[in-house]
Amino acid sequence: MARSAKAVPWFLFAAGGTVIAFILPVMIFVTGLAPAVGLFGDALSYETMQAFVGNWLIKLILLGVIVLAAWHAAHRLRVCAHDFGIRADHTVAIVVYSVAAIATAATIIALLMI
Amino acid sequence: MSRKPYVREVPKTTWFLKQSRYQHYMLHEISSIFVAIYTGILIVGLFRLAQGPEAWNGWLAAVTSPIGIVFHVLAFVFALLHTTSWFKAVPQAMRIQRGESFVPGNLIVGVHYGVWAAVSVVVLLLAGVA
Repeated sequence: MARSAKAVPWFLFAAGGTVIAFILPVMIFVTGLAPAVGLFGDALSYETMQAFVGNWLIKLILLGVIVLAAWHAAHRLRVCAHDFGIRADHTVAIVVYSVAAIATAATIIALLMI
Repeated sequence: MSRKPYVREVPKTTWFLKQSRYQHYMLHEISSIFVAIYTGILIVGLFRLAQGPEAWNGWLAAVTSPIGIVFHVLAFVFALLHTTSWFKAVPQAMRIQRGESFVPGNLIVGVHYGVWAAVSVVVLLLAGVA
């Protein structure tokens, strides 16, 4: 049987879909909705966030969540493009997976800077 | 042997509008756009956090601006849509065998909802306590 490189994006897609299903709603609530209504006081203040994200365990979790979300979204956007009538799968695949790769590198760099 | 197979014309960009099943599928598809944008916002936030207090406060101001709020409300709704439809598909993707029979799909889905609640509570506690 021919070996297929599809296993890699497929794994990232499935793992990403599962991880974001569990964590994304509450994350969007905490980082996007709560600060708008002033919930949790200064939980998102610079000092608190520096200390929080400075923790290596939190960094690892954030890296996992963001990278998996990026690759999951990339794979789904590829399908999305097809569904909206864009029939240039090869080009679309290169674009979305490149963006996901850049997002991965950017996340690592940002986390190392903190 | 000349055959002319019947090919049904399907509009490439609007095919999903006619059936509610397809509309729902596309709604789920569109959630990936929000996941992608939100991921980008998070990555920018990490860079801003690394750059110092002023940069971070600028990011917070953008998140809590009217456009930021509208985006996050939409992203939240689409994230919930992703979670519920992902869990709905779990019994098809995950077949767990115990002895002779398979673990019922409802149980697997139920456990997922339980874990989801637990994860959400932990993150909320982290945010509230921090």
